[in-house]
Formats: sequence, structure tokens, C-alpha cells
Amino acid sequence: MKRSTSGALAGATVLGLLLASAGTATAQRQASTMRMHPDTSATTPHAPPGGAYQKVSALVPLPDFIPGLGTLYVDPATLPAGPFLGYDRQRNLVNSIYMIPLKDLNAQKAFSGLKVAQERVDHVDIVFNAGHPGVAEPHYHVTLWYVPPERVAELTK
Amino acid sequence: MRSRREFLKAGGLALVGFGLVPTRRAAGAARLWAGLDWAAVPELIEMRSDRLGSRVWFDPIGVYVEPGTTVRWIVRENVHTTTAYHPRNDRHSLRIPESAQAWDSGFLVKPGDHFDVTLSAPGVYDYYCIPHEAAGMVGRIVVGRPIGPGSEPFDAWVGRPGTEGWRDVPEAARHAFPSVARILAERRVHP
Repeated sequence: MKRSTSGALAGATVLGLLLASAGTATAQRQASTMRMHPDTSATTPHAPPGGAYQKVSALVPLPDFIPGLGTLYVDPATLPAGPFLGYDRQRNLVNSIYMIPLKDLNAQKAFSGLKVAQERVDHVDIVFNAGHPGVAEPHYHVTLWYVPPERVAELTK
Repeated sequence: MRSRREFLKAGGLALVGFGLVPTRRAAGAARLWAGLDWAAVPELIEMRSDRLGSRVWFDPIGVYVEPGTTVRWIVRENVHTTTAYHPRNDRHSLRIPESAQAWDSGFLVKPGDHFDVTLSAPGVYDYYCIPHEAAGMVGRIVVGRPIGPGSEPFDAWVGRPGTEGWRDVPEAARHAFPSVARILAERRVHP
């Protein structure tokens, strides 16, 4: 019961993120300091993202490449929500992941002003995660994928 | 699922059952088998996860062993720890025998990574996985006799001198532990 409620809340969260993304896209284009990728000339962002972003495997004991998610980077100041930026083995940005603790969802905590990448979202996954180093509590992964499902499947190899 | 210990024991019985003892070679094998130090064969506990990391567990979640047995935790999927309920481990409440050594494997990151502990003091040993405790990834081992802090209710320590600042066992973990009675009855309890 709690999980389904939290799932609905997570859905509302990502919907809010997407709406917020669309509504503020123009402002963000003008405010280059809000962009996650300092190299604005690149048509496809590549790892590493630069700025305050650090490789997750350098911060906590996790593998460099996480099957199903990619190589993750995060600005530690934004934990636990993120976004975490996921890159494939060719160092192309493939996703942004927001990690939302279950207890925050149940407490109806708001997450606003989360950064977004300037990429077209192909689809969104909302998946329960039991915890891992860095976010050691049950939480939801709200994943904005910039690649189609067949490319996502390649990340599991 | 069988542990390596169970598999070896079953294999030994199978050898006997197939009547392979009379040949010289088999007799040698039988002597080798009889001389095997069972205490040196680790009791395996697997550290598991589904593909998405949504569900995580120890398998078996409950096990009975004799004093002096070495227990080996081995990662099959995901990232885990095996960590004793002991105040030395982030002020968790004491749920292993007072005379036993606390353990903490640290993060075991790759499939096949493992950690061994030899359990000598009789009693109940409760342990958890650091990143997954709140999700209920815990386990229980009964060594010889079901005695000690691990055999008591989760809140038995509350109000006792020297327990200030101890941390409760999370709700999900409390519900996940198999009962001592079930472990004694089944010897290996699977989730």
C-alpha cells in the first residue's frame, strides 16, 4: 500500500519535473550558469560533465559502470535527489536520475528547482530501489532517458 | 539452495550409497572424506538482489551452525555488507553474544566478493547489510544454543545502563528476521 502511494507520488514528482522543464526551458537557455553541461557547444554531452559533478564511484564504493544505469556523476551538494548523470560506455549522456527517499515522499516533502539536461526525453522509468552506497535507504529512481529502450538494454551488458 | 557444506555432505552420502568404497582408489577417497575438517568448510550465505535493486536479501536468512563454524557471505548481485548488530557498528544495539567479536565486512562490490567470520561463542547472532538495513536486509545465525542479547526482544536493552545512543532495529528489519524456533526446526531458513 505504501509503495503504491509512493509510486503515485513519484509519478507526480516526475510529471512536475517535466512540466517545470518545459515551462522554464527558455529561461534556462538564457541562464547558462544553470546548465549542467559547461560545454554548450557540444551537440551530445559527453562525460565528464565538469563543474561540481564528480564520478559517483570516486565518492562511494560502487562500480565505475553500473549495469543498467551507466557511469554516474553527481554534484554532492544535491544529494540525495541529484540529478545523477548517466553515461554509456562511449561516454554519451543517456539519462538523468533523481533519487527520492521513500520517507521524504511519505512526508510529502517537495523537491523543486532540480536541474535538467538540455536533451530530448525519450521515456521515463520510475523504479523502487532498496538502497545503495550514497543513498542507503529505500528510495525511488526517477530516470529520464534520452535514448530509446533498445539503447537502454545495451547498458545491461 | 544447498550450501557448499550441505553439498559436500550430500556428495559423501551419495558415494556411500553408490557402493564405491571397495576399490583402493575409493577407499582412499573415503579416508580423505572421513578426515575432512567440517569446521573448515564455510557455511555459505548468499547476498542477493533482483535486477533493478528493488528487492534484496540474504539466502539463507536464518541458519543454525555448531560453535567454531566459519560462515562465508558471498555477493551474487548488487553491493552489500555483512555487519553485526553491535554498538561498535554505528551504535547499533547489541544482538550478538557479549563475548563475540563484532564484524563489518565493508562494502563488497563485485559478484564473488566474500567475507568470512568464524563463530565460536554460543548464542544468537543478528546482522544486517548497511545500505539495505532499512529495506529489511538482515539475517540471523544460531550458534549452538539460542542464548544472549540476540535471543531477547528488540527493545530489551532500552533503559539499561550504558546503552545511551544505541540505535533501534528498523521496523522492516524486525519483520524480516526468522524466529529462533524456526531456525532450530529447519536449520536453514530461506526467504
